Amino acid sequence: GINAEYMGQEVGMIRNAIKKAFGMRALSTTWKNMDNYYKYDYTNKMEFIDHTMRFPVFRAMDLEGNVFDKKYEIGDKETLTKILNMMVTHREMDKVYLSLHRQGRITFYMATLFEEAIGPCIGAAIKPQDTGLLQYREQGFIMWKGYTPREILHAVKGTTKDFNKGKCLVFIYANPERGILPSSALIGSKIGHAAGAGYAYRVNKEDKIIVNFFGEGASSEGDFHAGLNFASTLGSQTLFVCRNNGYAISTPIYDQYAGDGIAPRGIGYGMPAIKVDGCDPLAILYATKQARQMIMDRKGPVMIETYSYRGGDHSTSDSSDAYRTKEVKAKLKPYIDSIGDPIIRLRKYMEKKGWLNNSEEYVTKFGEQVRAECLEIAKEVDATPHPHWKEMLEGVYKENPWHIKEQHQELEEHINKHPECFPLSSFSKQPTIHYHKLKKLS
Amino acid sequence: VSTQSTWGFISFQDMHRVLRYTRQIARLPALCRAFSSGPPPLKMDFSETVNTHEIKLKEPTKLKKMNICQAVNNALDTVLKADSNSYVFGEDVKFGGVFRCTVGLNEKYGSDRVFNTPLSEQGIIGFALGMAAAGCTPIPEIQFGDYIFPAFDQFVNEVAKYRYRTAGLYNAGGLTCRCTYGAVGHGGHYHSQAPEAHFMHTAGLTIVIPRNPIQTKGLLLSSIRSPDPVIFFEPKILYRMSEDMVPEEDYEIPLRKAEVLQEGKDITLLGYGASIRQLKMAAKMAEEKGISSEIIDLRTILPYDIETIEKSVKKTGRLLITHEGPVTAGAGAEIAAKIHERCFLHLHAPIARVCGYDTPFPFVYEPFYLPNRFKLFDSMLQLMEYQLNHIHIIKLS
Repeated sequence: GINAEYMGQEVGMIRNAIKKAFGMRALSTTWKNMDNYYKYDYTNKMEFIDHTMRFPVFRAMDLEGNVFDKKYEIGDKETLTKILNMMVTHREMDKVYLSLHRQGRITFYMATLFEEAIGPCIGAAIKPQDTGLLQYREQGFIMWKGYTPREILHAVKGTTKDFNKGKCLVFIYANPERGILPSSALIGSKIGHAAGAGYAYRVNKEDKIIVNFFGEGASSEGDFHAGLNFASTLGSQTLFVCRNNGYAISTPIYDQYAGDGIAPRGIGYGMPAIKVDGCDPLAILYATKQARQMIMDRKGPVMIETYSYRGGDHSTSDSSDAYRTKEVKAKLKPYIDSIGDPIIRLRKYMEKKGWLNNSEEYVTKFGEQVRAECLEIAKEVDATPHPHWKEMLEGVYKENPWHIKEQHQELEEHINKHPECFPLSSFSKQPTIHYHKLKKLS
Repeated sequence: VSTQSTWGFISFQDMHRVLRYTRQIARLPALCRAFSSGPPPLKMDFSETVNTHEIKLKEPTKLKKMNICQAVNNALDTVLKADSNSYVFGEDVKFGGVFRCTVGLNEKYGSDRVFNTPLSEQGIIGFALGMAAAGCTPIPEIQFGDYIFPAFDQFVNEVAKYRYRTAGLYNAGGLTCRCTYGAVGHGGHYHSQAPEAHFMHTAGLTIVIPRNPIQTKGLLLSSIRSPDPVIFFEPKILYRMSEDMVPEEDYEIPLRKAEVLQEGKDITLLGYGASIRQLKMAAKMAEEKGISSEIIDLRTILPYDIETIEKSVKKTGRLLITHEGPVTAGAGAEIAAKIHERCFLHLHAPIARVCGYDTPFPFVYEPFYLPNRFKLFDSMLQLMEYQLNHIHIIKLS
């Protein structure tokens, strides 16, 4: 279990009163405090506000696993072991699946090097009933919610065992039983959805939040501004998590924004915000635990901006050496060294706590195990076909109208006349098994 | 106050003179105003009674006089009462809406369920889709069809594809977007657009456009309860102009079905929304010339009812399609292509499309722009006389 203290509503109100006394506009403890509107302090001193507090990045432990304060140690052995195992699984799975792409066995994949901590730690800090809405680099989160490497590879290839029947490009994970809402390749479009779902949870008085992940690139999209504004103005139980990893494909953060990152924008839209070290599992755990409590207390959203580094390419369609040249890497080295590697930091912490002996050996051994399993999974997925081609014409509407039925008939006649023109051998001859009949693939 | 005293530089006596003069001016007919929609319409009663073939009422005598605005309000009230997880929101919705369609709902159902949103269409539809994914029935409002475009990405890429890309695990069926639509007499570029054609190209969406209050209430209730996401365009010029005796009870009109308003044997007239009035007036003018017209209201633009149109065209052999939006790649283009495919050998003339021109919707030139009854009547005469005016050269092989 996780024990965490949170400064209750009363203390928060006192803090806000003190801030108000010192002329600082407090963010209300429950959303939309009417005192904040139509009541302004006037000044006779004309001054453009051209400086703000520079947001520090919160970290709970250093690179060697030494915790700065005992109160940040809220993870017990079981939870942290699960997180560590999941991070190692994620990293090894990424390596195997990237190599599958190079061999031409899958068409596309996205790795998450150095950001493996974010998903599992946030998953561990929230409650089981909470839902998630991802962009694309959060396999760790869906793994915490129950996806296995086998299910992920089936989804990547789009086989009969893919829950979404190969309809869309990879990472459009959607599974209501596991609380994952549908994602899409569009950047930022899910931020508004998360605001809406969080609002629904609030008005239905559910003890439930939705966690929405997106990158710092998505924070430039219009949907980001609309979504954050709606969430805080209308009151949504939403946790916005911005994974600031320094790059949006080839665009570094200095071509993406001029402000102090994304957390200050949260404040601007009226929600509490924090910057967290994205390679520090304990910091993410602790901050998320506080954030969830804050969301339920103030019935409004909270933002977490994690700082990490995108260690690999954007995807298998990208070659980051083209823009992350030796000179660029040399300039980034101090930053990369300062945040380290989440797997190393966590295993060192656990070794110091006495929960893991020879942590380096453990991680290597466990990694080899995962690697072997993933290679077996790859063989199985190779042999699994795509769903029947008829699936292409299903699901546009609940019940297909005449024109789609007509097109289905035309295509069927054409395929029957010219079967050699279509890759029928890669597609199943059987009608697709409906999702509810699929068992969990461990 | 004496009439000789002044307010600023003008005396009260002069002010009275000015007021009397302007009152006289105001009584002059609408012809004088530059932004009117042309000559006054034919004196015609456009109100209708309930089509009992389509709507089975439990209390057919319990009717109330409503305009489209009130019919919308009534339908929303019905849904908000029956479904506790339904929500009505949009810009200015709380006080009653800029067209007064949501009057009284916030007082009745509270600000959690009927509320204002910040000014962002992409936010409104994104937010609504998130609510639909969480199992609610959101009924967002886009204040003008002209402003639906920031939400175009959300509609085309997210709403339309939600069921498809999740293989049915999720769907956006709970979402019904109400949007005002069409020419209003003085709207210009950005208060008059008819954007249905942009959405007709997107598989997965349903587009519904009613012509009068009876249709509005029934179609809106069907749309909200439909398992697919619907964009419901309300012709704003008819909000107050169109009045019917509307059943007070809960009733639905089926989607994906066109309605034959009057039967005829010479020519099929197809339209929707406010264009139906123009079609009715043109048909009356044509009747005096001995032309018998069959008028069809399309109602659901996507997926449209091809069977009803096909049956009618096979009977008459002539089709005229009208809509306010520009003619190129408009809704009429798709229907014309499909009817050509299915009824080629039955056609006595090519299918005519009398629609808006390929310009942005103009302000003062609106009377020239709209497909009014004169253009429709003229086109009908041309269709009737097509074979007389064209010599067909039959090549004998």
